[in-house]
Amino acid sequence: MRSLEPWVESPLATFLTESDARLTLLMTGSGQVVAQHGFTHALDVMAAAALGAAIVASTDALASVLGLRAFHALHHQGHRHGVFLAPFEMPQGRMIGLVVYGRDTSLGLVQLFFDRLVSELAAAAPPGEGKKVVLPQDFEHELHASLRALFGR
Amino acid sequence: MSEDIRVMTAQLAADPTSLVFLPLGEALRQRGQLDAAEKVAVAGLSRYPDLADGHDLLARIVGDRGDFEQAFDEWGIALRLDPKHVGAHKGIGFLYFVAGDLEEALHHLETAGAALPDDDGLQSAIARVHESLASRAQPEEDVPAGAPPVQDPAPAEPVDMEGAFRGMEGAEDGLLLLDNKGRCLTGGLLSPEGVDVADVVAAHLAGVAQEASRAVELLGLGAWHGLTVQAPGANLQIVAPDAESVLLLAREAGMPLGRLAMLSERAAAAAREWLQGLS
Amino acid sequence: MSMEYREALESLTRIRGVVGGLLVSREDGLVVAEAAMDGVAGNAVAALTNALAGRMQAAVASGGFGDPSFFHLHADGGTIAAAPAGDELLVVVIADRRVNVGLLRLEMLRIAGSVA
Repeated sequence: MRSLEPWVESPLATFLTESDARLTLLMTGSGQVVAQHGFTHALDVMAAAALGAAIVASTDALASVLGLRAFHALHHQGHRHGVFLAPFEMPQGRMIGLVVYGRDTSLGLVQLFFDRLVSELAAAAPPGEGKKVVLPQDFEHELHASLRALFGR
Repeated sequence: MSEDIRVMTAQLAADPTSLVFLPLGEALRQRGQLDAAEKVAVAGLSRYPDLADGHDLLARIVGDRGDFEQAFDEWGIALRLDPKHVGAHKGIGFLYFVAGDLEEALHHLETAGAALPDDDGLQSAIARVHESLASRAQPEEDVPAGAPPVQDPAPAEPVDMEGAFRGMEGAEDGLLLLDNKGRCLTGGLLSPEGVDVADVVAAHLAGVAQEASRAVELLGLGAWHGLTVQAPGANLQIVAPDAESVLLLAREAGMPLGRLAMLSERAAAAAREWLQGLS
Repeated sequence: MSMEYREALESLTRIRGVVGGLLVSREDGLVVAEAAMDGVAGNAVAALTNALAGRMQAAVASGGFGDPSFFHLHADGGTIAAAPAGDELLVVVIADRRVNVGLLRLEMLRIAGSVA
């Protein structure tokens, strides 16, 4: 497991164990990876996170165009794996969960335990610091801090 | 054929759902026509599987034939269906007496005796059990002074590693005890084709038990006691004798599920005793 | 919910002791149709029972005993029962300890046959 925030580790580990998912990424609404757990070695984590965030943003826009409320979860089912994407609100701002799972579990279990993950993250999160405003001159610093934490540099 | 049997047979033939199968089966049993009695009882129970009197009848029939194990099972089912069933208490009390478990025998016979105070035979049986219990309990004062000290009891027999279910039906091919990591401990399991499937099924079963535990925990149902499964090739019962083991009982597909549950309780008790002997 | 599914679930929930009846997709463990009392988490019952059914099927099939047609998990606080309805659906019931399991089993097998 790699994470920027230690308080996500226990809920995330529990989620992966209970859901039998292959891997899980937690990221900010803009696609910055906050934590990853599971079989991630073969994965371009940052690209997957960025694309996942983009899909969620696109779907939000689609819902708006259609006059619908935002979708609370997305699911793509492949031949051997499924991908589950769900945004949720935290004191620190919007986060997105991206879950990849195989045929030894099910979408029902993934959804069930993802809801619990969100509750446990909300309970474990430190008191709201308010949304941290990332100024452009801090953005590159934040990005490099993420990379160092995730890749151990 | 006696007239009453003839009449009851005609009644049953006219209406197979009639409860006349009970007195008919009993009449045939009393005449020693045990095969005919068993057929009548089994047919009746197939329509009324929850009828305690039917299980009591079948128990008496197979008991007359000397199949005490099946008689025990049938009376056990009768008691589950009707905890106050006098016939079942009498019958099962008798079996406990034969098996030497006098305390259990007395409990069941006295329960029956309370409902039938005028049954001389039953009251005599109760008195006999009391006598047996009394003669078993030798007070220490009876030992004469200067008598040699009582020798230490013979050392406990070593645990029979292969015999947790020795003597039980299915010990070799339909009773499997495994640890919670999916490894066989004792017993055996054969597929309907006679292939040894103990290891592969044990491996899967540990996961089943874990999944069952998770389900009941997350749904707030407390601890689970058993898992009954009906399949084309067998009826199966899965129980957890203790926190670290899982027991599978597999029987032919036609076995009544209630009876399966009874058998599994006995097997679980045997498994617990065996496991305690190991520790 | 289709009329067929509605009627099937109503016949289950009429059995004393039943607190929830569901039709669950075996593929993904999601609720297809549901009739449950307040306080019953249908999605959790569906997902967890489907997972148990999957493991059970693997265990029983590995022994050469075929695919289960019915199973029943009994616990301190109640019972869960399930019967596959074809390859796609699972009939699931959650009940309290009063339930007549014999009657429940017969009704579930009948429904499994009709909705498969």
